[in-house]
Amino acid sequence: MVARIDSTSDRVPVLRRTWVQISIYGAVCLAIFLVPVVLDNDFLLNKYARYLVLGILAMALSLSWGYCGILNLGQALSFGLGSYCMAMALKLRTVPVHTGEGGLPDFMVWNNVQELPWFWAPFYSMPFALFAGIAVPVLLAVLLGWFVFRARITGVYVAIISLAALVVVNLLIIDQQRYTGGFNGITDLAQLEILGMEFDAYSSASYYLVATVLTVCLFAALAITKSKTGLIMQAIRDHEDRVRYFGYDVAHFKIFAFAASAAIAGIAGMLYTIVMEFASPTFLGVPLSLSVVIWCAVGGRQSLLGAMLGAILVTGMQGALSESETFLDTWMLVMGGVFVAVVLFLPKGLAGLVETIVEHLFGQGRAARAATGKPAAGKDVSGTGKKAEEAA
Amino acid sequence: MTGYLELRDVAVSFNGFRAVDGLSLTVEKGELRCLIGPNGAGKTTALDLICGKVKPTHGSILLNGRPLDRLEEHEIARAGIGRKFQIPSVFKELTVPQNLEVAYCRKTGVFANLLRFARSVESDGLEKLAEMVGLEDCLDAPAGILSHGQTQWLEIALLLAQDPQVILMDEPTAGMTAHETRKTAELFKRLKGRHTLIVVEHDMSFIKEISDIISVMHQGRLLAEGTVQDIERNPEVREAYLGSGGITGA
Ligand SMILES: Nc1ncnc2c1ncn2[C@@H]1O[C@H](COP(=O)(O)OP(=O)(O)OP(=O)(O)O)[C@@H](O)[C@H]1O
Ligand SMILES: [Mg+2]
Repeated sequence: MVARIDSTSDRVPVLRRTWVQISIYGAVCLAIFLVPVVLDNDFLLNKYARYLVLGILAMALSLSWGYCGILNLGQALSFGLGSYCMAMALKLRTVPVHTGEGGLPDFMVWNNVQELPWFWAPFYSMPFALFAGIAVPVLLAVLLGWFVFRARITGVYVAIISLAALVVVNLLIIDQQRYTGGFNGITDLAQLEILGMEFDAYSSASYYLVATVLTVCLFAALAITKSKTGLIMQAIRDHEDRVRYFGYDVAHFKIFAFAASAAIAGIAGMLYTIVMEFASPTFLGVPLSLSVVIWCAVGGRQSLLGAMLGAILVTGMQGALSESETFLDTWMLVMGGVFVAVVLFLPKGLAGLVETIVEHLFGQGRAARAATGKPAAGKDVSGTGKKAEEAA
Repeated sequence: MTGYLELRDVAVSFNGFRAVDGLSLTVEKGELRCLIGPNGAGKTTALDLICGKVKPTHGSILLNGRPLDRLEEHEIARAGIGRKFQIPSVFKELTVPQNLEVAYCRKTGVFANLLRFARSVESDGLEKLAEMVGLEDCLDAPAGILSHGQTQWLEIALLLAQDPQVILMDEPTAGMTAHETRKTAELFKRLKGRHTLIVVEHDMSFIKEISDIISVMHQGRLLAEGTVQDIERNPEVREAYLGSGGITGA
C-alpha cells in the first residue's frame, strides 16, 4: 500500500505537493530574510517591509476567499482594527509634550477630553494590546460570520455586508475624534519595544520582525489549508450544499475561515502601525480593502504564496510607477490595465499561470490529459453508452 | 407498528402545488426499498424531505423513533442519513481522493478536523473504494472532468465512504452502461442488510433484480406497495403510468 500512496502523490500537481510547497514557501521566506544582508538602506527596507505587510494582508484574504469562497470586501476592517490596537498601545508610551509623563494623549487634550476613556486604559499593557490586535478582529469576524453564515447568506451579499461593516466602523472612527484621533488617526507614536529590543520603523530590526511574522503566518495558513478542515473549506467553496449532507455544519467552517483570515489581517495591521509609525482611518478604508481583492486576483487567490507575492508585486509596481516621471500621470491607468488583463486572461492569477507552466514541464500525464480535456479511458467506466441505446 | 424509517402523512407544497401530498411510508431496518413512479410523482421530493433539503409543511418523519423533520441538514446526516442526488453532486474542483476524504466524516467539528491531515491514515481504504468503483485511473483528476457515468460512481463511492445507516439513492444507474448497472445491482444487494436503502429508479429490470418491496408514488401520494408481481398486476399502477409509455418505459 505504501507504493500506492507514493504513486498517487506523484500525480498530484507538482506545485500542490506538500513537500514542494514547503520548499518553495521556505525559499521565498529565506529570500525575504536575506534582503537586509544585501541591502543596507533603511529607507528602502522600510518600504519593502510595508509591501511585505500588505502581502500578509492579501494572504489572509486568500485563506477565506480563495480557499473557502468567502469574498470579504471588508478585509481592511480587521487590518485597521489591528493597526489601531497597536497605535493605542504605542501612543500611551509616548510622553505627551503638554501634559508630561502619564498624561493624556495629545489629541485628547486638544479635544477637551478630561480623563482617559475606559477602553484605552488596558492598552498600557503591551501584551494586552498584542492580544487585542488579534482578538478584536476575530471577535468581530465571529459575530458577523455568526449572523451571515448561519442565515446562509452567500456570494455577493456577503461581499456587500462585509463592505458595509467596514464603512460603518470607518465612519465611527472618523466621527469619534475625541477617542480615536478622527480623520488624522493616531500619530506621534513611541517605538515598539519587546524584551529590550527596539523596533525603529527605519531599521533592519523592524524588517526582520515583519519577515518573521510573515513566515509564521504563511506557514500557519499553509497548515490550515493542508488540514482536513482546509479540505472541507475547499469543498464548501466548490459545492456548499453538498457538504451539509455529510454532516458538516457549513456555518462553523465558514466562521472559522473568516475568523482565521481576520486574525492574520489583524496581525498585519499591527505590523503596519509599526512600519508606518501611525494609524489612520485609511487603513480601514474602502480603497485599501478593494485593493486587497485586486492583489489577490492578480497573484492568484487560490494560492497563499501567490496572493502574497501578488500584493508585493502590485504595490511595488505602483510605488515604482507613481515615483517615475514618465508614468507620473498615467500610472493608475497602467495598473488598471494590468488588472483587467490578468482577470481576463488568467482566472487563477499569476500563481495559476506558473502552476500550468510547471505542470507542462515537470508534471506527469496531467498535462497531456489536460490538452485533450478528457480523463484517461477508465476501462469499462467510460460511461458514454447509455443503457437505452443498448436496449434498443 | 413503527418501522425504522417512517414518513407519517408528510406533505409539502411549492407555491400551492402539492409535490408530496400525504405520503406515508414505513421502511424496516436493513431493507432495500425501491421507490418508483412516473415523472413528477414526487420521488425526488420525498428524498429531499427525508434528508432535510425540503422541510415538510405537514406530517412527521422519524428515524428509529426520533423525529427528523425539525433538524438541519447536517444534523440529519449525523443522525445517519446519506443521500445521492438525481443530478450527481460531487466536488468538481477536488480530486477523486479528496472527494472521498470529505465524505469520510467520522468527525465533523472544525477543530477536530484542524488537527488531521487532509490525507488521513484511512486514505488507503478510501483509495480501495475508488478502485472498487473503477476510478483508480482518475485519482489525480479534478472530479469536474469525469464523465456522467463516472460522476455517478464517484457519488456512490462518496456514500460508501460516508457509510451512513440509511442510504437514499436517486436514480443511481442513469447514464450507466448495462454492465455498470449490473455492477451497481451487485453492490446494492451487498449493502442491503447492513444499511437501509431507499432507491429511486426508472429501470424496471434493475428494480426486479434488487428489490424486495416496491413503493409506487403518483401525484405526491403512495399509490401501491408490494412485490414486483403485485405492482405489475396492479391496475391503478398501470393507469398511472399510462401515457408515459408503460411502467418499463418510464
Ligand atoms: N423546488 C421546487 N419548486 C417548485 N416545484 C417543484 C420543486 N421541486 C419539485 N417540484 C415539482 O414537484 C413535482 C415532483 O417533482 P420530483 O422531482 O419530486 O419528481 P420525481 O418523481 O423525482 O420525477 P422524476 O422521475 O422526473 O425525477 C414536479 O412537478 C416538480 O416540478
Ligand atoms: Mg426525481
